[in-house]
Amino acid sequence: MFRFSRRLALKGALVCALAISVVPSATAAEPVLRVSAIPDEAPTELQRKFAPLGKYLEKELAMKVSFVPVSDYAAVVEALASDKLDLAWLGGFTFVQASIRTRGAATPLVQRAEDARFTSKFITADDNIKTLADTRGKVFAFGSPSSTSGHLMPRYFLIQGGINADKDFKNVAFSGAHDATVAFVAAGKADAGVLNASVWEKLVDQNKVDPKVRVIATTPPYFDYNWTVRGGLDPELVRKIAAAFLKLDPANPEHAEILALQRASRFIPTSKENYQGIEQAAKAAGLLK
Amino acid sequence: MKAPRDPAALARVGGLLLATVVLWPLAVIGEFRPWVLFEAQNLRVMGGFLGGFLPPASGGEFLAYLGQATIETLAMASAGIALAFVVAVPLAVATTQALSISRLGPGPGRRRGELLRAGLRILLVVLRGIPELVWALLFVRVLGLGPAAGVLALGLTYGGMLAKVYAEILESGDQRPARALLEAGGSRLQALCYGLLPGVAQELTSYTVYRWECAVRASVVMGFVGAGGLGQLMDQSMKMLNGGEAASILLTFLALVLAADALSAFFRRQLGEAGTAGHAAALGPLPLAILASLGGAVLASFAWLDLGLGALLSRAAAASIADFFASFWPLDLSAGWLWKVGQGALETLAISVLGTLLATVCALLLALPASGRHGALLEQATRFVLNALRSVPELVWATLMALAAGLGPFAGILALALHTSGVLGRLFAEALQNAPATPRDALLEAGTPAGVAFLYGSLPTVTPQLLAYALYRWEMNIRMAAILGFVGAGGLGQLLYVELSLFHQAQASTVIAAMLLLSVAVDAASASLRRRLG
Repeated sequence: MFRFSRRLALKGALVCALAISVVPSATAAEPVLRVSAIPDEAPTELQRKFAPLGKYLEKELAMKVSFVPVSDYAAVVEALASDKLDLAWLGGFTFVQASIRTRGAATPLVQRAEDARFTSKFITADDNIKTLADTRGKVFAFGSPSSTSGHLMPRYFLIQGGINADKDFKNVAFSGAHDATVAFVAAGKADAGVLNASVWEKLVDQNKVDPKVRVIATTPPYFDYNWTVRGGLDPELVRKIAAAFLKLDPANPEHAEILALQRASRFIPTSKENYQGIEQAAKAAGLLK
Repeated sequence: MKAPRDPAALARVGGLLLATVVLWPLAVIGEFRPWVLFEAQNLRVMGGFLGGFLPPASGGEFLAYLGQATIETLAMASAGIALAFVVAVPLAVATTQALSISRLGPGPGRRRGELLRAGLRILLVVLRGIPELVWALLFVRVLGLGPAAGVLALGLTYGGMLAKVYAEILESGDQRPARALLEAGGSRLQALCYGLLPGVAQELTSYTVYRWECAVRASVVMGFVGAGGLGQLMDQSMKMLNGGEAASILLTFLALVLAADALSAFFRRQLGEAGTAGHAAALGPLPLAILASLGGAVLASFAWLDLGLGALLSRAAAASIADFFASFWPLDLSAGWLWKVGQGALETLAISVLGTLLATVCALLLALPASGRHGALLEQATRFVLNALRSVPELVWATLMALAAGLGPFAGILALALHTSGVLGRLFAEALQNAPATPRDALLEAGTPAGVAFLYGSLPTVTPQLLAYALYRWEMNIRMAAILGFVGAGGLGQLLYVELSLFHQAQASTVIAAMLLLSVAVDAASASLRRRLG
């Protein structure tokens, strides 16, 4: 009797559990634009930055817009490739990866005017490090391994300057995000590090940088971030999304707030060709095979 | 008069030499340099961070996040165990020797049965041998971020572990009833339900509850790879070096792990009592209530997590998952990459060996007061320390130790040593308490000082057991050492994390294969050493 009822109870629980997980959710009918961004900053910061832009897009596109927070760069690429996301804020290198992963289906729409001439800053809090050459034999922090401005381009420019990140540093750390790199360097967890110029300037403006931390070098400019749509999205919707971004005008106070949070003066159209340089750099640095 | 020679001198010197020859290179590979802990810069970094611990973060918004993450962690563990159970039961029934018809004697299909069983056993080794965090990292890619990846990862790894142990438990019970049923022409299912289960049901349930407790600890860190729960909060706070938040989360860990411990011990005690009361009275109202509440908890967990696992069943989703896993084939076996993976594997091995060794020594030292040899007050105090050490997961210790000792394998060694000291300390203390008192008492009565009486009266009786515990932990620690690199503590983990981020699937699968080989090799080495201990 006892065994029977226990088995029955377990079976019943499992059947119910499976039933719950299989029933599709009822909200699938209404069209939703699913948006995400590579997590190059703390996720809470990303949500804060996106909120007004999301409202603006909802109004312009006349559809619901939902932001899907993500904490892994590569997961954004996989989600675009498997149609789990419609629109994503990608770095230059993640765009190249997404383009390869989707066999060219992912299309870049717009970028910030600043992204056409993007740079990275090398930072340190160690008085003995004055030039990039002094970082040899030290602990060096990149952002995420998938980051353009926090890993790929700095690694590429380091190689051109004669420093091989795999051999010449005592240890390489991946902080995961640009703001975390500053925290690593300020705390001495890494002797030097590199992050994108836009986040660095924002942190300086907000007085969030420890005064010990200073810039020792800046990279030459390259193309970076863009807003990319997945393949197979309705072309009319794609056109409307691009138009909504391009319409943002700094003279309009409501738009100005959105642009300020995105750290953009305005948005400009972009195309795949702009990212060929990144692809070559990734191949040269051995990050793309 | 000539001083009596130590008859075991040669063996002792030989053993010491061998240990040095083995450990020295490992210490070099593992960058074992304890003095860096006291370097001014590291002290300043750690001090600054720990200084931020007080006061722990207690803002309303943060506490709301924390509460939600805690529930998510618990739900992930419960749903994961339920899934593991579903995976494990058929695998255990299929692989256990206790239900093998082919063992009854020659007959048709014997060869096929053996092949099937061998194949399934290999599957179990793969499921168990790849750490759950690696599975989680892979599933995060396919399913997107969130608890679904954690639940599936737990389901697979724990499914493999449960299946192996279930099969062993079925084999350890009385085989005769099942055999009689099979020989009389009963089906395997009948033999299982009427011949085997009545004898071992209580042990099976007890082990499942114990695994749930382990799953709670495992889900705490799933978030480090983006699979939701408390780990994700911890990862962010540690990366931003926010001491106050880290302190609050650590306190939550402590409370959660201790509560899961206590709950699991209570359930198992109840089941144990019910079991010894005899079969007819086996189901008292309390065990029934416990099982009902467990079922309810599992249901609630699936409802809370809203996993959408149903989406996995669509043809398109299945194809994209198959695509993803297919991209890992073939492995990159080029000499250059193998060399790099080999170096990582050696580092991982060094971390696991030195971490376990260090933990064994610390655990023994802590077990002395914890076993009540130096008074009740000291016993309670050390037990609290042991609980605190063990309730913080290795991965979290590693993020802390990366501050104290700098990034690299030494941080990994310390992390393993700290967590394992807590686990082993408790087990050692219990073993010491249960050691027979007579040899020691005899020495004490003959006038031997207490210390010497312990060394020659108590220690030798428990040494084999202590070493067996330490070897078991080594098997777990090799899996842990393989992933500590996710947070910068050396070994294969960092290689895997970077290669996966860069979509270098072929290179990543070589690393995963290396992890699997390492864990299989350590399992074999540990088993053979334990056999030698008798």
